[in-house]
Parts: sequence; structure tokens; C-alpha cells
Amino acid sequence: MAKRIVIDPVSRIEGHAKISIFLDETGHVSDAEFHVVEFRGFEKFCEGRPFSEMPGITARICGICPVSHMLASAKAGDEIMAVEIPPAADKLRRLMNLGQIIQSHALSFFHLSAPDLILGWDAAPEKRNVFGLIGADPKLARAAIRLRQFGQEIIEALGGKKIHPSWATPGGVREALTEQGRDRIRAWLPEAYATTELALALSAKVLETHEEEALIFGNFPSLFMGLVSPDGTWEHHGGKLRFTDSTGSVIADQIDPSTYKEFISEAVQESSYLKSPFFTALGFPGGMYRVGPLARLNVCERMGVPRATAQLRTFKQMGRGSVTSSFLYHHARLIEILASIEHVERGLDDPDVFSADLRADAGVNSLHGVGASEAPRGTLFHDYTVDRAGLLTKVNLVVATGHNNLAMNRTVAQIARHYVRNEEIPEPVLNRIEHGIRCFDPCLSCSTHAAGQMPMRIRLIGPDGEVRREVVRG
Amino acid sequence: MARGLLVIGYGSTLRRDDGVGPAVAGEVEDRRLPGVRTVACTQLTPELAETLSRARAAVFVDASLDRSGRVRMRRLEPADASQAQILAHATDPRALLALSRTLYGRAPRAWMLTIPVADLGFGEELSVTARDGLRKALRAIRALRRRLP
Repeated sequence: MAKRIVIDPVSRIEGHAKISIFLDETGHVSDAEFHVVEFRGFEKFCEGRPFSEMPGITARICGICPVSHMLASAKAGDEIMAVEIPPAADKLRRLMNLGQIIQSHALSFFHLSAPDLILGWDAAPEKRNVFGLIGADPKLARAAIRLRQFGQEIIEALGGKKIHPSWATPGGVREALTEQGRDRIRAWLPEAYATTELALALSAKVLETHEEEALIFGNFPSLFMGLVSPDGTWEHHGGKLRFTDSTGSVIADQIDPSTYKEFISEAVQESSYLKSPFFTALGFPGGMYRVGPLARLNVCERMGVPRATAQLRTFKQMGRGSVTSSFLYHHARLIEILASIEHVERGLDDPDVFSADLRADAGVNSLHGVGASEAPRGTLFHDYTVDRAGLLTKVNLVVATGHNNLAMNRTVAQIARHYVRNEEIPEPVLNRIEHGIRCFDPCLSCSTHAAGQMPMRIRLIGPDGEVRREVVRG
Repeated sequence: MARGLLVIGYGSTLRRDDGVGPAVAGEVEDRRLPGVRTVACTQLTPELAETLSRARAAVFVDASLDRSGRVRMRRLEPADASQAQILAHATDPRALLALSRTLYGRAPRAWMLTIPVADLGFGEELSVTARDGLRKALRAIRALRRRLP
């Protein structure tokens, strides 16, 4: 009789989710699913609001990546106003996005994933956490926190507040960088470089000892999507979309993000609130693609800065064509931190960051606007439709974690097939399965977290597909 | 040198009463009480450990589904490092205190202030229940400040 094992909730990811593993008649894993059990609902909530308020509102969707939503929202607003923003505003938005990438990637690598990578899958669970990491290497643990603080320092120097800066606005930004702010950021650079180089060396060692994980943790052919510049350089805020396949071939390039619906369709699966986007031309689920650090490094040809480009060359040698193992997301994240620091350093030398020409002003000149930006976890689309008064009539948010949904399911199934035996999931195996999800650093925040509430639903489904039992709490 | 009282209010300000923690932090900030610093955030994140390590005392303010309807203030001790988890989305205040002590050598005396809430739907306004709790929470923070050396 087919059985289902439910792991609920997945730990050390943002938000809550659960995993179901389906066993066949012989006790082997036949399939697995990653479910998101929180309903976001922000799209409906935003309808009727003025589009100009959206950067400030959407920045509050998530406490981990507020900047990403704010910037994508501001860009959608730019399109509704049909304006080209001043060059200084674009440069400042980029600077803030780099700060966001640094702080978010640092959290993912050092706090959520490094305990597994450094202390080992089989370490006692009570040791395999950030406190175990502190015990093993307190200097690294402190440096990790400071690297995250550096990213937030950039955000604060620009936006004024660390968590929810309503600084970007349709048409540009509200404030330039001050010389004092520039000096504060610059003072951090040597330490940020040193920590990142240390982490890259550590990650390279991890890869030497984790060959099995690199083969099993989400290693499969798929498409990859990310923004690139016209010459194929790594992008994080501007540029156009590029899709490559697992051989490294470019299959679609320089796609205007505002036309994303011509290339991407969104499937809805009963088992999850998370949408399942796919590359339309290859159908569902064959059009599965990945976004985020791994994808961005696969689709680009250079990083636009020397040290990260040297790292990219080494990285690309880890795959044949594309790097197809999701386990390599971790290393890709560190290369992106390095690139971000280099781009920040370069950006600080640009006199435009002090410019007073920061905003283009206009009313509603288009009833539809799409903003795209690379959030730390991958490409983020904000798609707004407004009426003549600028009030939102429709909102569609396609978030990075959604893009990766199909790939996360596939990753869980691959790991489970390899490690689950005799219908048992010992703790180290459980942790490997969860780590497969953590590779993607999914962000499922946005729900309430009030003490005592953790929405959870467990369904037991028999081999005939009928729900035998359903438990809801929270 | 440890200084002052740190008030950390956390929760989602787009989920009505879940935002009561940040609202309390905002009100405290507006009053500019001498020796009091505030942080309003969506969720607790690890770098707050460093901020905590520099405070003499700290109050974490959060929404609660406690059905008693009472604003509660209780002492918090750092978690046992073997039990503490830093989950990023749901970092526990006690784990954060443990992180502060482990990484920076000290953790402040700390309290958890929970405010009963009634409505966690999408929206920005606080319910009558949460507004009432907010006022009581402010009184509790003032009283705590007076008691601190």
C-alpha cells in the first residue's frame, strides 16, 4: 500500500512549509512535494491603492527582502508614468539592491546553511546550528554577522531606515547618498572583502568534501532565467531576461521583462499556495526553470568586476555547459556577494550618487506597468494594472521562490529517492531533505507570526487519491 | 559599556494587529524618552544580537493570541545554546539573547511583553483590542524604565 511521509514544518527557511514524500507499493520513494501552506493574499489587498504608494507598501511584505519588492514596485510605477528615471536615481537604486543582496545572501549562507556544511549532516541536531558554528569558529560567526550588517548599512545610508525604506518611488528615489554615508560604507569595504574571500575559500573546501551532495541535491537538467545586460554581463536591476538550458545554450535572450507573460505561464497546483511558473514554449512541467544565484551565474558571461569574474570562470568549470546542481547555489551566493561588494566600491566613486536630479515626475500615462528586478533569491516581477486615477485594479507578483517551485519539488524527490530507505527518515536524512530546500533559500514570509500561531495542514491521502484524514491547527 | 533600555517591537505591519509590536516601538520612539532606544522590525534577525549586547536592558514586544486578554510582561533568560535555533523568520527572543551572550560576551536583562490581538487579516489598522493593549504596553514600559537602575 502506498504511504506518505510528511515533514512539517521545514526548518531554517523563511516562513513555513511542509514536505510530502510518496512511497510506492514496495516502500521506495515515488515522488515528493514541497508545499507552501501560507496564503499571501497581498495581490488582492493592494487593489484599490494608488500605484505611487506601492513601493512603501510592498516593502513591508517581507522583513528579509523589503528592498527587492520596493525596487520592483518603483520600476512598475516608472512604466505606468512612462518615464525614464534620472541616471543618478538608477545608480542609487542599484546601490541599494547590492546592499540587499549582500545582507540576504550572508544570512542564507552563514546562518541557515553553514551549520550543515561545516558541522556535518550527522552532527547532533543540538550542535548543528549557528551556536555550533560559533563554537567551531567564533571569529567567522562574528564576521558573518558583520557582513550582514554591512549590507544593511548600505540600505540605511540610502533609505534612512534599515528594514522598510520607502525610499524608491515611481520616477526615481527620494534622497541621494551623502558624503558621510559614502564614507561610512567605504570604511566597511576591507572587512567585507576579507570575510567574503574567507567564505569563498571555505565553500571551495566544502565542495571538495561534498561531491555526493553536489550530485544528488537537485542536480538535474533545467532551464535557467535571469537578467543580463545587452553584452551578457551579470545584472541585478536593469537589463533584459535571458533563458539558457542545461547545456549552456541561450534559448531566449534580451526579452523585455514587461513581456514576461509571453514566455512564462503560471500553473496552480492544488497542493500548494505557491504558483508554479514554467517556460511556456516547453510546456508544463517540462518548462521548469531555476532563478537566483545559480541561474544568474549560469546565464551571464561575466560579472562586470574583476575578482568576481575570476570566481565565475572557476564556477563555470563545475558544470558541463550550465552548472546544474542546486547544491552550488551556496557557492554562487558567495560569488554574488563578492560581485556586489566590488560594484558597491565602484558605485561610490561615481559623482552621480550625490546628484540632486533624482526624480522624473508624471501622471498616469500607461494603464499597465511591469517592474522586474533581481531579488537575492531570483527574478521578481511586479505587474500592475491601474485605472485613469492611478488606482490599482489588478496586481500580479511573481516572486523568486515561485519561479523555483518546480525545481524545489524535483530536488526534494531526488534527495528522498537517494536517502530514504525502509520507510524511515532518521534525523540526518531529514536534514538532508530540508537542506535541499535551503539550497534555494526560499522566502515564504509574509504571514503573521503572532505568538502561538503557526498555520498547519496535514493531509493523509490513500493510494486511491482520497483524503483519508485532514488535520488543521493554528 | 552597556547603555539604556532597548525596546524591540516586531511583527508585520500589513497584517493588522500583528503590527502592534512595531506600533509600540514607534510610540516609544516618538516620546524620546531619555536612555531608551527602539527597533521596529518585521522579524527578529541575528544581527540584533549585537545591538542587544550593548543594551543594559531589553523589552521584546510582540502580538499574542493569548486568550486571557491581558498584556503580559515576563522575564526572559537566554536560551540554552543546545536548544536555541536561529530560524531567521521566527528567531526566538531567547535565542537572540543566547546569541548575544555567546558572540559578544553579554546579554541584557530582558523581558517579553505580549499584547493580546483580535484581527490578523490584511490591513494596517489596529483593532480596539490591540489599541487598548498598546496603551497598556506603553505604561508597562514606562514602569519598567522607572524600576531599572
